[in-house]
Amino acid sequence: MDRFTMEKVRKTFTNGETKEDILKGINLSLMEGEVTALVGASGSGKSTLLTIAAGLQSATEGTIQFDGQNIATMKSDQIRKIRASKFGFVFQFAHLVPFLTVKEQLLLMLDIADSKQKKVDKKKEVDRILKLVGMEHRKDSYPTSLSGGEKQRVAIARAIIHKPKVLFADEPTASLDSKRSREVMALLRDITKTYHIATLLVTHDEEMLIFTDRVIKMLDGKILAESN
Amino acid sequence: MKMAWKEMQKNKAKFIILGSIIFLVSLLTFIISGLANGLSHDNAGLIKDLPDGHFYMTEDAEEMYNLSTINNGTQEDILMNQENSVALSIQMGFVNDQFDKQRSVAFVTSTDSDLFEQVSSGEIILDRSLEDEGIKVGDTLTHNQSNGTFLVKGFVNQKKYSHTPVAYISTEDYQDIYQTSDMQLIFIPGTENVQQFTGLQAFTNQEFLKTIPSYSAEQMSLNMIVWFLIVISGMLFAIFFYMMNVQKIGLYGILKAIGVKTSTLFQMMWTQMVVITSIALTVSIAGSQIFNSLAPNGMPFSLTIETTLQLSCVFLIIGFVGATLSGFQIKKVEALQAIQQGEM
Repeated sequence: MDRFTMEKVRKTFTNGETKEDILKGINLSLMEGEVTALVGASGSGKSTLLTIAAGLQSATEGTIQFDGQNIATMKSDQIRKIRASKFGFVFQFAHLVPFLTVKEQLLLMLDIADSKQKKVDKKKEVDRILKLVGMEHRKDSYPTSLSGGEKQRVAIARAIIHKPKVLFADEPTASLDSKRSREVMALLRDITKTYHIATLLVTHDEEMLIFTDRVIKMLDGKILAESN
Repeated sequence: MKMAWKEMQKNKAKFIILGSIIFLVSLLTFIISGLANGLSHDNAGLIKDLPDGHFYMTEDAEEMYNLSTINNGTQEDILMNQENSVALSIQMGFVNDQFDKQRSVAFVTSTDSDLFEQVSSGEIILDRSLEDEGIKVGDTLTHNQSNGTFLVKGFVNQKKYSHTPVAYISTEDYQDIYQTSDMQLIFIPGTENVQQFTGLQAFTNQEFLKTIPSYSAEQMSLNMIVWFLIVISGMLFAIFFYMMNVQKIGLYGILKAIGVKTSTLFQMMWTQMVVITSIALTVSIAGSQIFNSLAPNGMPFSLTIETTLQLSCVFLIIGFVGATLSGFQIKKVEALQAIQQGEM
């Protein structure tokens, strides 16, 4: 079932009198329990597409349907609420809050998502997700004491603790070695399947495509090819 | 709130440094304010202790009360028609104690009134600072300009004028010393509308204080220092939080990306500001009150808890403004920009 669709999405940047089309009428659907990868050369528009889909910047034209609503026309606070409660994010760098422990990072995300769970249930959920990503033994550690791979696992845990419907991952393995990259990708794939999340992933690393269900190749702001 | 507290716990040194600076600046402000207040009492305790009302001196004295001479007719007319009004004169002078040591005093005499000490001819009531210097009740003081003597009848607390202890004498003795029966001033208590009298200029208590030589200059300098320190503390907050915010731009961007409200980030900053300022001010208030009780007798220092609390509120407001100004960066932070940056 389509969870998220983008239709005729365009993005134009204006610099003085010069206009540059970064996205040229993109149509894209994301399915539940599926990892969709966006690949392409630098400047092909894949990161712009991901950030527009995630509501981090606006499209110049087009519709973005999510849960029966067009988020392309929403006000910034409405989009923020959706980002907080329905979307999850994993970035190239983990970007963890430096003064919070691993456990607190996840509790913070539940607060941001306005989770109505009781405190004790939140703690149980944190323990469960940390176990899922293999980080339960580091729950009281601060980010400075974690390795790159561990940080990224915590970032993934933070991205899914509030049970998002769509997960956006922008080059999540770019700062990791190949062993850690495979671990993180396998984790992302398993979580997508287990929690029926629609995951959109931007990657440069073709080796990681074995962990995805669908690959969309972009070139010059257009979708060039799509393969399963 | 939790995030604000966690950050303070994790970065104790950073926040302790800011708190220490705020503590030192506020303690200095409280002490200077205490000195300003103490000097103000030392300079004009006689006037400051009077109820609100209006002073009158002759227009041709050009706001210099010691050049004012209110004629007997006008004085009688006003005293008869204005309830609780009193005519008074203040003149700087000297008395010699039993060991012929000269003491500077401000001679004050007045018509019959509860607002000023009343003595009979040949008697004198002095400010208690002279008691501390060895003069006792029953001592006889002499005055060079008159051949009379003064018998010390008693002492009063905190009655000074132009940093000089007040000496209450009778109108007869005053007339004998200064060879005039005209009074310099009339004081009418009450805050109602100011009365107008031909040839006389009215002053509120505050306006009259400003006519005292050195009072305005002294108070203005000290108050300027107090306000300067308050502004510095505001700037400290602005600079400190600006630096902190610059370091955290990436973090703020990520937090915004995952859905944190901008207002939550502001609340985090305000919480830290309030916690640091409150702790620093509490220690500072305690320190200034200890100083207040331990200050040597000769030091003109007076710091009430009300003044301290008022200044503390000003510190909090200034801190809030400083922190908020620096916080506008938070508003400008783009989530997208932060994501594209490297690890924080």
